[in-house]
Amino acid sequence: MANRITKAIGALALATLASISVPGPALANGDTGITPFISTQNFTRDTPSQRGRDRGQYIPEIVLTPDGCEVWAADDGAEGYASNRLTRKGTPRCHDVQQCGVVNTDQFFATDSYRIHPRNRAQIASFFQQSSAFAFTIVGHTDSRASDDYNLRLSYNRAVAVAKIAKSVGAKIVDIRGMGERYPVASNRTADGMARNRRVEILCFQ
Amino acid sequence: MKLKATALFLGAALVLSACADEGLRGYPADKTIDRGINSHSLKTLQWGVYVDPDGCDHWISDDGFEGYQVNRLDKYGKPVCSGVAPPTYTAGDFKGGSPIPDPN
Repeated sequence: MANRITKAIGALALATLASISVPGPALANGDTGITPFISTQNFTRDTPSQRGRDRGQYIPEIVLTPDGCEVWAADDGAEGYASNRLTRKGTPRCHDVQQCGVVNTDQFFATDSYRIHPRNRAQIASFFQQSSAFAFTIVGHTDSRASDDYNLRLSYNRAVAVAKIAKSVGAKIVDIRGMGERYPVASNRTADGMARNRRVEILCFQ
Repeated sequence: MKLKATALFLGAALVLSACADEGLRGYPADKTIDRGINSHSLKTLQWGVYVDPDGCDHWISDDGFEGYQVNRLDKYGKPVCSGVAPPTYTAGDFKGGSPIPDPN
């Protein structure tokens, strides 16, 4: 969500800010050796940029990233601006290219179980062996029966079971999650809908 | 891509006395096109991946005078930290969309 500041005035403003900066708080995880500073810049609502000639209106383009997610991008002549286009819930607007595999859990898991039958392991292993993706995230889901807490655990354990098979054939797994019943793709009022909600998603990153 | 500014200046000078059109002095609000050299719609930006010092991916594109960078997020909104390159390094030809070289 950053942009490149190419104007000298931008550099000057940054230099001014840097001189009045105070050390930022330590990062909770992962020390990068880079100390953030807390900006004390005042924000005023009027836009006097370019002596008012741009009138403050910027109509951006919607650009797709290679993952298929939407980005707002604007070319202001010698500057480019961009940020992720998000829903009001905070999720990116993505077209379906990340999800390259769905494991229908009914085929591989017994009810309430997160063990994968040996005869099904080969099928899952072969999926990962044939994929051209560089890395994968595995996300488990359940239907809405049983408690939320139980479903979070079950979906996570099923995702771990799939990830173990993936790792056994050399696939790079960057994240494993259990989302429980919170992200249904179909109605939980019908048997068919519930069956579709019981799934393990494989997100593929090229 | 700043050729546009020169052209606008010349154009404005020519019609200065007669110009009642505020549109000519102003800048277009439409920012969806990279104008000038190698003119193209921003839809055709060429992206690569930049890995930040935390190890998480960003989509990056060098479009000549403009640089663009956004978080690489999965569909749930979480950052993608794929390990496609070491922290602070890039992957992919993110400068390939523009013929304009960088000074550094």
